[in-house]
Amino acid sequence: MECVVEGIIETQHVEALEILLHGLCGVPKERLKIHEFCLRSGPNLGVVTSELRVLCDLEQPKPTWTVRQVGGAMRGAGAEQLSVLVRSMIESKISKNGLRFFYILGYKLDHELLKVGFAFHFQKVVPITVTVTSVKRMLKLHATDEAVPVTPGIQLVEVTAPASADNYSEVAAAISSFSEYLAPLLHLSKPGVSAGVVPTAAAAAASLMSDGRGKTL
Amino acid sequence: MPVKWLLYWQPNAGISVNTQILTEISQCVESSINGVKGGRWKATLTFYRPITRDQSSQNDYPRDLMGVSLPEQPHKYYFILRTNRIVFEADTNIQSIMEKAQSYKARVALTFEGFQYQLGDFQLRVGKVALTSHAENLRGIAMEVEYLPLSSLEKSRQVMDDFVDILQEIVTSRSLPGHFTHIEPNFSEYGLSDQYSSQHTSLQYASVMTQLLTNQRN
Repeated sequence: MECVVEGIIETQHVEALEILLHGLCGVPKERLKIHEFCLRSGPNLGVVTSELRVLCDLEQPKPTWTVRQVGGAMRGAGAEQLSVLVRSMIESKISKNGLRFFYILGYKLDHELLKVGFAFHFQKVVPITVTVTSVKRMLKLHATDEAVPVTPGIQLVEVTAPASADNYSEVAAAISSFSEYLAPLLHLSKPGVSAGVVPTAAAAAASLMSDGRGKTL
Repeated sequence: MPVKWLLYWQPNAGISVNTQILTEISQCVESSINGVKGGRWKATLTFYRPITRDQSSQNDYPRDLMGVSLPEQPHKYYFILRTNRIVFEADTNIQSIMEKAQSYKARVALTFEGFQYQLGDFQLRVGKVALTSHAENLRGIAMEVEYLPLSSLEKSRQVMDDFVDILQEIVTSRSLPGHFTHIEPNFSEYGLSDQYSSQHTSLQYASVMTQLLTNQRN
Protein backbone atom coordinates (compact mmCIF):
# COMPACT_ATOMS: atom_id res chain seq x y z
CA MET A 1 0.00 0.00 0.00
CA GLU A 2 1.22 3.52 -0.70
CA CYS A 3 0.13 7.14 -0.43
CA VAL A 4 0.75 9.26 -3.49
CA VAL A 5 0.31 12.77 -4.86
CA GLU A 6 1.62 14.20 -8.09
CA GLY A 7 1.94 17.45 -9.95
CA ILE A 8 3.65 19.09 -12.89
CA ILE A 9 6.28 21.78 -13.18
CA GLU A 10 7.80 23.64 -16.08
CA THR A 11 11.30 22.40 -16.86
CA GLN A 12 12.70 25.92 -16.41
CA HIS A 13 11.74 25.77 -12.71
CA VAL A 14 13.09 22.29 -12.00
CA GLU A 15 16.45 23.61 -10.83
CA ALA A 16 14.69 25.79 -8.26
CA LEU A 17 12.62 22.81 -7.14
CA GLU A 18 15.80 20.81 -6.72
CA ILE A 19 17.28 23.52 -4.49
CA LEU A 20 14.11 23.60 -2.41
CA LEU A 21 13.96 19.80 -2.11
CA HIS A 22 17.61 19.63 -1.17
CA GLY A 23 17.01 22.16 1.56
CA LEU A 24 13.90 20.40 2.85
CA CYS A 25 15.22 16.86 2.70
CA GLY A 26 18.81 17.43 3.68
CA VAL A 27 20.03 14.55 1.56
CA PRO A 28 21.72 14.51 -1.83
CA LYS A 29 19.57 13.76 -4.86
CA GLU A 30 19.84 10.50 -6.74
CA ARG A 31 19.84 10.47 -10.51
CA LEU A 32 17.00 8.55 -12.06
CA LYS A 33 16.69 6.82 -15.39
CA ILE A 34 13.92 4.26 -15.49
CA HIS A 35 12.72 2.34 -18.52
CA GLU A 36 9.13 1.43 -17.74
CA PHE A 37 7.28 -1.32 -19.61
CA CYS A 38 3.55 -1.31 -19.09
CA LEU A 39 2.17 -4.82 -19.67
CA ARG A 40 -1.42 -5.93 -20.00
CA SER A 41 -2.76 -9.45 -19.76
CA GLY A 42 -3.63 -11.03 -23.11
CA PRO A 43 -7.15 -11.66 -24.37
CA ASN A 44 -9.22 -13.80 -22.00
CA LEU A 45 -6.34 -14.16 -19.53
CA GLY A 46 -7.31 -13.42 -15.95
CA VAL A 47 -10.55 -12.71 -14.18
CA VAL A 48 -10.28 -9.17 -15.55
CA THR A 49 -7.56 -7.51 -17.61
CA SER A 50 -4.57 -6.90 -15.36
CA GLU A 51 -1.69 -4.50 -15.67
CA LEU A 52 1.91 -4.95 -14.53
CA ARG A 53 4.75 -2.48 -14.74
CA VAL A 54 8.22 -3.85 -15.32
CA LEU A 55 10.86 -1.27 -14.46
CA CYS A 56 14.47 -1.31 -15.53
CA ASP A 57 16.74 1.01 -13.56
CA LEU A 58 19.27 2.18 -16.12
CA GLU A 59 21.11 4.40 -13.67
CA GLN A 60 22.74 1.40 -11.97
CA PRO A 61 26.10 0.17 -13.30
CA LYS A 62 24.31 -3.10 -14.04
CA PRO A 63 20.60 -2.46 -14.79
CA THR A 64 18.27 -3.79 -12.09
CA TRP A 65 14.71 -4.97 -12.67
CA THR A 66 11.52 -4.62 -10.66
CA VAL A 67 7.90 -5.54 -11.26
CA ARG A 68 5.17 -3.37 -9.78
CA GLN A 69 1.49 -4.03 -9.43
CA VAL A 70 -0.59 -0.95 -8.71
CA GLY A 71 -4.07 -1.73 -7.50
CA GLY A 72 -7.19 0.32 -7.21
CA ALA A 73 -7.47 3.38 -4.98
CA MET A 74 -9.01 3.12 -1.56
CA ARG A 75 -12.66 4.20 -1.61
CA GLY A 76 -15.15 5.50 0.88
CA ALA A 77 -15.89 8.70 2.70
CA GLY A 78 -12.61 8.57 4.66
CA ALA A 79 -10.54 8.22 1.50
CA GLU A 80 -12.46 11.06 -0.20
CA GLN A 81 -11.50 13.45 2.57
CA LEU A 82 -7.79 12.73 2.24
CA SER A 83 -5.80 15.00 -0.04
CA VAL A 84 -3.61 12.07 -1.09
CA LEU A 85 -4.46 8.90 -2.95
CA VAL A 86 -4.13 5.67 -0.99
CA ARG A 87 -3.74 2.62 -3.21
CA SER A 88 -2.41 -0.88 -3.08
CA MET A 89 1.06 -1.24 -4.54
CA ILE A 90 3.29 -4.30 -4.46
CA GLU A 91 6.82 -4.37 -5.79
CA SER A 92 9.28 -7.15 -6.24
CA LYS A 93 12.85 -7.21 -7.46
CA ILE A 94 13.14 -9.64 -10.35
CA SER A 95 15.77 -11.29 -12.50
CA LYS A 96 16.68 -9.71 -15.82
CA ASN A 97 14.61 -12.21 -17.80
CA GLY A 98 11.40 -10.77 -16.27
CA LEU A 99 10.05 -9.32 -19.50
CA ARG A 100 10.46 -12.62 -21.31
CA PHE A 101 8.80 -14.40 -18.38
CA PHE A 102 5.72 -12.18 -18.41
CA TYR A 103 5.47 -12.33 -22.21
CA ILE A 104 5.42 -16.14 -21.99
CA LEU A 105 2.73 -15.95 -19.30
CA GLY A 106 0.60 -14.08 -21.81
CA TYR A 107 1.22 -10.44 -20.99
CA LYS A 108 1.63 -7.99 -23.89
CA LEU A 109 3.51 -4.72 -24.07
CA ASP A 110 0.92 -1.95 -23.96
CA HIS A 111 3.36 0.95 -23.98
CA GLU A 112 6.80 1.88 -22.71
CA LEU A 113 8.19 5.06 -21.20
CA LEU A 114 11.55 6.43 -20.18
CA LYS A 115 11.59 8.54 -17.04
CA VAL A 116 14.71 10.66 -16.63
CA GLY A 117 15.34 12.97 -13.70
CA PHE A 118 16.18 12.72 -10.04
CA ALA A 119 14.81 11.51 -6.73
CA PHE A 120 15.10 12.40 -3.07
CA HIS A 121 14.59 9.72 -0.42
CA PHE A 122 14.20 11.00 3.11
CA GLN A 123 12.46 10.51 6.43
CA LYS A 124 9.71 12.90 7.56
CA VAL A 125 7.68 10.89 10.10
CA VAL A 126 7.63 8.19 7.41
CA PRO A 127 10.04 7.42 4.55
CA ILE A 128 9.06 9.68 1.65
CA THR A 129 10.28 9.62 -1.94
CA VAL A 130 10.04 12.57 -4.30
CA THR A 131 10.77 12.01 -7.98
CA VAL A 132 11.07 14.71 -10.61
CA THR A 133 11.18 13.27 -14.08
CA SER A 134 10.87 14.10 -17.71
CA VAL A 135 8.57 11.43 -19.15
CA LYS A 136 9.63 10.32 -22.59
CA ARG A 137 8.26 7.97 -25.18
CA MET A 138 10.22 5.87 -27.61
CA LEU A 139 9.89 6.51 -31.35
CA LYS A 140 11.11 2.97 -32.02
CA LEU A 141 10.56 -0.11 -29.84
CA HIS A 142 12.93 -0.07 -26.83
CA ALA A 143 15.05 2.72 -28.40
CA THR A 144 15.74 4.64 -25.19
CA ASP A 145 18.48 6.66 -26.92
CA GLU A 146 15.91 8.21 -29.23
CA ALA A 147 13.25 8.97 -26.64
CA VAL A 148 11.35 12.25 -26.90
CA PRO A 149 9.40 14.03 -24.14
CA VAL A 150 5.69 13.26 -24.01
CA THR A 151 5.00 16.82 -22.86
CA PRO A 152 7.97 19.03 -23.84
CA GLY A 153 8.83 21.65 -21.27
CA ILE A 154 6.87 19.95 -18.50
CA GLN A 155 8.15 17.52 -15.86
CA LEU A 156 6.28 15.18 -13.55
CA VAL A 157 6.68 15.34 -9.78
CA GLU A 158 5.53 12.39 -7.69
CA VAL A 159 5.58 12.14 -3.91
CA THR A 160 5.06 8.65 -2.51
CA ALA A 161 5.39 6.89 0.82
CA PRO A 162 4.73 3.29 1.84
CA ALA A 163 1.68 2.88 4.04
CA SER A 164 -0.39 0.18 5.70
CA ALA A 165 -4.01 -0.15 6.73
CA ASP A 166 -2.96 0.92 10.22
CA ASN A 167 -0.98 4.05 9.44
CA TYR A 168 -2.21 5.44 6.11
CA SER A 169 -3.86 8.51 7.66
CA GLU A 170 -0.62 9.39 9.44
CA VAL A 171 1.33 8.90 6.19
CA ALA A 172 -1.23 10.97 4.26
CA ALA A 173 -0.86 13.79 6.80
CA ALA A 174 2.94 13.66 6.49
CA ILE A 175 2.73 13.92 2.69
CA SER A 176 0.16 16.72 2.86
CA SER A 177 2.24 18.80 5.20
CA PHE A 178 5.35 18.19 3.09
CA SER A 179 3.41 19.19 -0.05
CA GLU A 180 2.62 22.56 1.48
CA TYR A 181 6.32 23.46 1.45
CA LEU A 182 6.33 22.91 -2.31
CA ALA A 183 3.10 24.82 -2.92
CA PRO A 184 4.73 28.02 -4.24
CA LEU A 185 6.35 26.01 -7.01
CA LEU A 186 3.81 23.34 -7.78
CA HIS A 187 0.45 22.01 -6.80
CA LEU A 188 0.38 18.39 -5.72
CA SER A 189 -2.87 16.46 -5.90
CA LYS A 190 -4.24 12.96 -6.29
CA PRO A 191 -3.13 11.36 -9.57
CA GLY A 192 -5.62 12.06 -12.33
CA VAL A 193 -6.81 15.33 -10.75
CA SER A 194 -4.06 17.58 -12.05
CA ALA A 195 -4.35 21.26 -11.20
CA GLY A 196 -1.75 22.33 -13.80
CA VAL A 197 1.17 24.63 -13.14
CA VAL A 198 0.89 27.25 -10.41
CA PRO A 199 0.99 30.99 -11.26
CA THR A 200 3.45 31.76 -8.45
CA ALA A 201 6.07 29.31 -9.79
CA ALA A 202 8.16 31.85 -11.70
CA ALA A 203 8.45 34.26 -8.76
CA ALA A 204 9.09 31.46 -6.25
CA ALA A 205 11.71 29.94 -8.54
CA ALA A 206 13.45 33.28 -9.00
CA SER A 207 13.55 33.78 -5.25
CA LEU A 208 14.90 30.28 -4.63
CA MET A 209 17.52 30.63 -7.33
CA SER A 210 18.82 33.87 -5.87
CA ASP A 211 18.84 32.36 -2.36
CA GLY A 212 20.47 29.24 -3.71
CA ARG A 213 23.19 31.25 -5.41
CA GLY A 214 23.72 33.23 -2.20
CA LYS A 215 24.28 30.00 -0.27
CA THR A 216 26.67 28.64 -2.83
CA LEU A 217 28.74 31.81 -2.62
CA MET B 1 27.17 -20.88 -3.49
CA PRO B 2 27.94 -24.55 -2.83
CA VAL B 3 26.91 -27.02 -5.47
CA LYS B 4 23.95 -29.24 -4.74
CA TRP B 5 22.29 -32.29 -6.24
CA LEU B 6 18.68 -33.12 -5.58
CA LEU B 7 18.00 -36.87 -5.61
CA TYR B 8 14.68 -38.64 -5.44
CA TRP B 9 13.81 -42.13 -4.32
CA GLN B 10 12.90 -44.48 -7.12
CA PRO B 11 11.07 -47.48 -5.59
CA ASN B 12 11.41 -50.90 -7.17
CA ALA B 13 8.62 -51.94 -9.53
CA GLY B 14 5.39 -52.74 -7.73
CA ILE B 15 6.48 -51.15 -4.49
CA SER B 16 5.13 -47.84 -3.34
CA VAL B 17 7.08 -45.37 -1.29
CA ASN B 18 6.23 -45.32 2.42
CA THR B 19 7.32 -43.76 5.70
CA GLN B 20 9.16 -46.92 6.74
CA ILE B 21 11.58 -46.47 3.85
CA LEU B 22 12.06 -42.80 4.79
CA THR B 23 12.84 -43.81 8.39
CA GLU B 24 15.38 -46.38 7.22
CA ILE B 25 17.07 -43.90 4.87
CA SER B 26 17.36 -41.42 7.74
CA GLN B 27 18.86 -44.18 9.92
CA CYS B 28 21.36 -44.98 7.16
CA VAL B 29 22.51 -41.37 7.10
CA GLU B 30 22.78 -41.21 10.88
CA SER B 31 24.33 -44.58 11.71
CA SER B 32 26.06 -45.85 8.56
CA ILE B 33 27.80 -42.65 7.51
CA ASN B 34 27.60 -40.80 10.84
CA GLY B 35 25.64 -37.78 9.66
CA VAL B 36 25.19 -35.29 12.49
CA LYS B 37 21.54 -34.44 12.71
CA GLY B 38 20.75 -30.73 12.48
CA GLY B 39 17.61 -28.66 12.18
CA ARG B 40 14.51 -29.12 10.06
CA TRP B 41 14.24 -27.86 6.49
CA LYS B 42 11.32 -27.24 4.21
CA ALA B 43 10.85 -26.32 0.58
CA THR B 44 7.57 -25.90 -1.27
CA LEU B 45 6.56 -26.29 -4.86
CA THR B 46 3.31 -24.93 -6.25
CA PHE B 47 1.63 -25.65 -9.56
CA TYR B 48 -0.13 -22.73 -11.20
CA ARG B 49 -2.83 -22.71 -13.85
CA PRO B 50 -3.91 -19.82 -16.06
CA ILE B 51 -7.27 -18.31 -15.23
CA THR B 52 -9.13 -17.70 -18.45
CA ARG B 53 -12.47 -16.09 -19.09
CA ASP B 54 -13.39 -18.78 -21.52
CA GLN B 55 -12.52 -22.47 -21.38
CA SER B 56 -11.25 -22.66 -24.96
CA SER B 57 -8.47 -20.14 -24.19
CA GLN B 58 -6.86 -22.43 -21.55
CA ASN B 59 -4.42 -23.84 -24.08
CA ASP B 60 -3.29 -20.40 -25.24
CA TYR B 61 -1.31 -19.96 -22.02
CA PRO B 62 1.35 -22.07 -20.30
CA ARG B 63 -0.01 -24.81 -18.07
CA ASP B 64 3.31 -25.91 -16.58
CA LEU B 65 4.09 -22.90 -14.39
CA MET B 66 5.72 -23.99 -11.13
CA GLY B 67 6.68 -21.80 -8.19
CA VAL B 68 9.40 -22.84 -5.74
CA SER B 69 10.38 -21.50 -2.33
CA LEU B 70 13.67 -22.68 -0.87
CA PRO B 71 15.04 -22.60 2.68
CA GLU B 72 18.41 -21.41 1.34
CA GLN B 73 16.78 -18.18 0.04
CA PRO B 74 13.89 -17.38 2.37
CA HIS B 75 13.25 -13.96 0.77
CA LYS B 76 13.19 -15.22 -2.81
CA TYR B 77 10.68 -17.08 -4.94
CA TYR B 78 11.34 -18.90 -8.19
CA PHE B 79 9.11 -19.60 -11.16
CA ILE B 80 9.96 -22.30 -13.66
CA LEU B 81 8.48 -22.88 -17.09
CA ARG B 82 10.07 -26.08 -18.35
CA THR B 83 8.50 -25.94 -21.82
CA ASN B 84 9.96 -22.50 -22.36
CA ARG B 85 13.22 -23.24 -20.54
CA ILE B 86 13.04 -20.32 -18.17
CA VAL B 87 13.84 -19.86 -14.48
CA PHE B 88 12.64 -16.53 -13.11
CA GLU B 89 13.79 -15.17 -9.74
CA ALA B 90 11.85 -12.64 -7.67
CA ASP B 91 11.24 -11.54 -4.10
CA THR B 92 8.69 -13.55 -2.13
CA ASN B 93 6.03 -10.87 -2.58
CA ILE B 94 5.81 -11.79 -6.26
CA GLN B 95 3.25 -14.29 -4.94
CA SER B 96 1.05 -11.40 -3.78
CA ILE B 97 1.49 -9.74 -7.18
CA MET B 98 0.33 -12.95 -8.88
CA GLU B 99 -2.65 -13.14 -6.54
CA LYS B 100 -3.64 -9.54 -7.21
CA ALA B 101 -3.18 -9.90 -10.96
CA GLN B 102 -5.61 -12.85 -10.93
CA SER B 103 -4.21 -14.24 -14.16
CA TYR B 104 -2.69 -17.43 -12.70
CA LYS B 105 -3.98 -19.41 -9.79
CA ALA B 106 -2.03 -21.60 -7.36
CA ARG B 107 -3.65 -25.01 -7.80
CA VAL B 108 -1.68 -27.67 -5.92
CA ALA B 109 1.18 -27.21 -3.48
CA LEU B 110 3.69 -29.85 -2.40
CA THR B 111 6.00 -29.68 0.57
CA PHE B 112 9.47 -31.20 0.80
CA GLU B 113 10.44 -31.41 4.46
CA GLY B 114 12.68 -33.27 6.86
CA PHE B 115 15.96 -32.99 8.70
CA GLN B 116 19.40 -31.90 7.64
CA TYR B 117 22.64 -33.70 8.42
CA GLN B 118 26.25 -32.56 8.43
CA LEU B 119 28.91 -34.94 7.24
CA GLY B 120 32.29 -33.25 6.93
CA ASP B 121 32.13 -31.12 3.79
CA PHE B 122 28.75 -32.52 2.84
CA GLN B 123 25.37 -31.36 3.96
CA LEU B 124 22.42 -33.67 3.42
CA ARG B 125 18.74 -32.89 3.64
CA VAL B 126 16.48 -35.89 3.73
CA GLY B 127 12.77 -35.38 3.53
CA LYS B 128 9.36 -36.50 2.48
CA VAL B 129 7.38 -35.07 -0.38
CA ALA B 130 3.69 -34.60 0.36
CA LEU B 131 0.77 -32.48 -0.67
CA THR B 132 0.80 -29.42 1.56
CA SER B 133 -2.88 -29.97 2.29
CA HIS B 134 -2.40 -33.71 3.14
CA ALA B 135 0.96 -33.81 4.89
CA GLU B 136 0.47 -37.41 6.04
CA ASN B 137 0.09 -38.68 2.50
CA LEU B 138 3.64 -39.46 1.32
CA ARG B 139 4.20 -38.83 -2.40
CA GLY B 140 7.94 -39.32 -2.52
CA ILE B 141 11.30 -39.06 -0.79
CA ALA B 142 13.95 -36.52 -1.73
CA MET B 143 17.52 -35.89 -0.67
CA GLU B 144 19.64 -32.81 -1.19
CA VAL B 145 23.37 -33.48 -1.30
CA GLU B 146 25.37 -30.29 -0.93
CA TYR B 147 29.15 -30.14 -1.20
CA LEU B 148 30.26 -27.05 0.66
CA PRO B 149 33.79 -26.42 -0.75
CA LEU B 150 32.83 -26.13 -4.45
CA SER B 151 30.44 -24.03 -6.49
CA SER B 152 31.36 -25.28 -9.96
CA LEU B 153 29.12 -28.04 -11.27
CA GLU B 154 31.83 -29.46 -13.48
CA LYS B 155 34.61 -29.43 -10.89
CA SER B 156 32.39 -31.08 -8.30
CA ARG B 157 30.95 -33.76 -10.58
CA GLN B 158 33.42 -36.48 -9.65
CA VAL B 159 33.20 -35.98 -5.89
CA MET B 160 29.39 -35.81 -6.06
CA ASP B 161 29.22 -38.96 -8.17
CA ASP B 162 31.49 -40.79 -5.73
CA PHE B 163 29.45 -39.68 -2.74
CA VAL B 164 26.15 -40.71 -4.31
CA ASP B 165 27.69 -44.11 -5.16
CA ILE B 166 28.53 -44.58 -1.47
CA LEU B 167 24.97 -43.65 -0.54
CA GLN B 168 23.61 -46.17 -3.03
CA GLU B 169 25.84 -48.92 -1.65
CA ILE B 170 24.61 -48.27 1.87
CA VAL B 171 21.01 -48.31 0.72
CA THR B 172 21.61 -51.55 -1.19
CA SER B 173 23.32 -53.16 1.82
CA ARG B 174 20.17 -52.47 3.83
CA SER B 175 18.11 -54.18 1.10
CA LEU B 176 15.84 -51.19 0.76
CA PRO B 177 13.40 -51.68 -2.13
CA GLY B 178 14.64 -48.96 -4.46
CA HIS B 179 17.44 -46.51 -5.11
CA PHE B 180 18.17 -42.81 -5.33
CA THR B 181 18.10 -41.21 -8.77
CA HIS B 182 19.71 -38.00 -9.89
CA ILE B 183 18.62 -36.30 -13.07
CA GLU B 184 20.61 -33.21 -13.86
CA PRO B 185 18.53 -30.72 -15.80
CA ASN B 186 20.26 -29.19 -18.80
CA PHE B 187 21.11 -25.99 -16.94
CA SER B 188 22.65 -24.26 -19.95
CA GLU B 189 19.35 -24.53 -21.85
CA TYR B 190 17.93 -22.28 -19.13
CA GLY B 191 20.81 -19.84 -19.42
CA LEU B 192 22.30 -21.02 -16.12
CA SER B 193 26.08 -21.19 -15.88
CA ASP B 194 28.47 -23.68 -14.33
CA GLN B 195 28.56 -21.55 -11.16
CA TYR B 196 25.88 -22.95 -8.91
CA SER B 197 23.02 -20.70 -7.72
CA SER B 198 19.61 -21.05 -6.10
CA GLN B 199 18.11 -20.85 -9.58
CA HIS B 200 19.80 -24.21 -10.23
CA THR B 201 18.22 -25.59 -7.04
CA SER B 202 14.75 -24.38 -8.00
CA LEU B 203 15.09 -26.01 -11.40
CA GLN B 204 16.14 -29.29 -9.80
CA TYR B 205 13.02 -29.21 -7.61
CA ALA B 206 10.84 -28.63 -10.66
CA SER B 207 12.52 -31.51 -12.51
CA VAL B 208 12.24 -33.91 -9.57
CA MET B 209 8.59 -33.04 -9.07
CA THR B 210 7.83 -33.59 -12.73
CA GLN B 211 9.58 -36.96 -12.53
CA LEU B 212 7.73 -38.03 -9.38
CA LEU B 213 4.41 -37.20 -11.00
CA THR B 214 5.34 -39.06 -14.17
CA ASN B 215 6.34 -42.12 -12.11
CA GLN B 216 3.05 -42.04 -10.23
CA ARG B 217 1.02 -41.79 -13.43
CA ASN B 218 2.86 -44.82 -14.77
